[in-house]
Amino acid sequence: MGGKVSCTLGEVKNRADFIVYWGGNPAECHPRHFTKYTLTQKGKFIPNGRKDRTMVLVDIRETPSAKAADIFLQVRPSKDFEVITTLRALIKGQPVARDMVAETGLTLDQLQDLAERMKRARFGVLFFGMGLSMTRGKHMNSAAILTLAAELNAFTKFVAMPMRGHGNVTGGDVIMRWTTGYPFGVNLARGYPRFNPGEFSTVDLLIRGDCDAALIVGADPGATMPQPAIDHLARIPTIVLDPKLTHTSRLARVHITTAVTGISAPGTVYRMDEIPLPLRPALKSPYPTDEEVLRRIHMAVAARSRPAPPVVWPGPVAV
Amino acid sequence: MELTVVKNATCTFCGCVCDDIELHADHRRIVHTKAACVLGASWFKNHTAERLYPEALIDGREATVDEAVEAAAHYLHDAALPLVYGLSNITCEAQREAISLAELIGGVVDSHTSL
Repeated sequence: MGGKVSCTLGEVKNRADFIVYWGGNPAECHPRHFTKYTLTQKGKFIPNGRKDRTMVLVDIRETPSAKAADIFLQVRPSKDFEVITTLRALIKGQPVARDMVAETGLTLDQLQDLAERMKRARFGVLFFGMGLSMTRGKHMNSAAILTLAAELNAFTKFVAMPMRGHGNVTGGDVIMRWTTGYPFGVNLARGYPRFNPGEFSTVDLLIRGDCDAALIVGADPGATMPQPAIDHLARIPTIVLDPKLTHTSRLARVHITTAVTGISAPGTVYRMDEIPLPLRPALKSPYPTDEEVLRRIHMAVAARSRPAPPVVWPGPVAV
Repeated sequence: MELTVVKNATCTFCGCVCDDIELHADHRRIVHTKAACVLGASWFKNHTAERLYPEALIDGREATVDEAVEAAAHYLHDAALPLVYGLSNITCEAQREAISLAELIGGVVDSHTSL
């Protein structure tokens, strides 16, 4: 696992002639990805747009995105890691057993063809979604696909990019990296940052019952997390900042309504390729912004944490 | 009624963060969008500037923001290992504040990335 070979979506638009979507359904989840950035646009070195590009979709089922693809590869659920590892071997010309490939739901010929096409591409991109990064193998799958992209650079230009879901989840990674040195799951309890996914990641922390208070901002774990994690949120004092009363608000001790990011709250948001973009809110909210409320909580905590006035030694006692 | 037009507005619904949206709004809601996809259009139209929810709740009862901020500070200050989680649907400026608060209270800060 060593870093991510990536680029901006502008480079994809202007250069990419081979586009792979792995474990994602952009047609329904990122509807403008094809038309604004990747597939149909004409680019500086892609004069004919869609005709100059090849698209491959790898997924466990035929989603609406398959219609846009030139090649659809249906992989058996939770066999992505095996497929990626096989591709890495094929690209290097190593022998691969036919019957082992059959377990993945694909044939050796299909993978050989994909490996050849990847090596022949002028500029290839691997977009990977949560179908890869949140199924069996999880971060090992992400690491494998990033390694595949890196290794392909021995033959041609190849990059990888995660298809990020929520609006500014990329910004969260960037801001945490900038301020703490790590992208997520950072423990600051000792006064310096420590990073250990599995130990300091939220679901694990909650299921083990390690934390004794929670501040939830711009998320609704009460609707999305495993039940034992939600149970722990209900046990401890939970504070929610959200534009709506969420599932988490209902089990929280404190809820504060805030303005909606991008609609009535201004600021900066990162696109999935880590390009920061300014927001242009169209409405004025009657509620304060998350930023403002967080700053006020910060000030209120700081006021409580102020050390007690020093005890003055009255001087030597006369005897 | 006169509509305000915002050009090149940025949509924060998904990770595409399209920044070429045109919004037509009265003072209460966005009534028309141009260039937005189905998800973006419903995102813009479903959030209004109306006061639909109480400004704050403490134990299910309505409270002022001041009271709620004090209550939040009390719980976070008293906790041995508080958790700050989410950060996905807020601005970078707010994320920075959240991380700074996590540092002050000596907690764990985490986002959707860890899921």
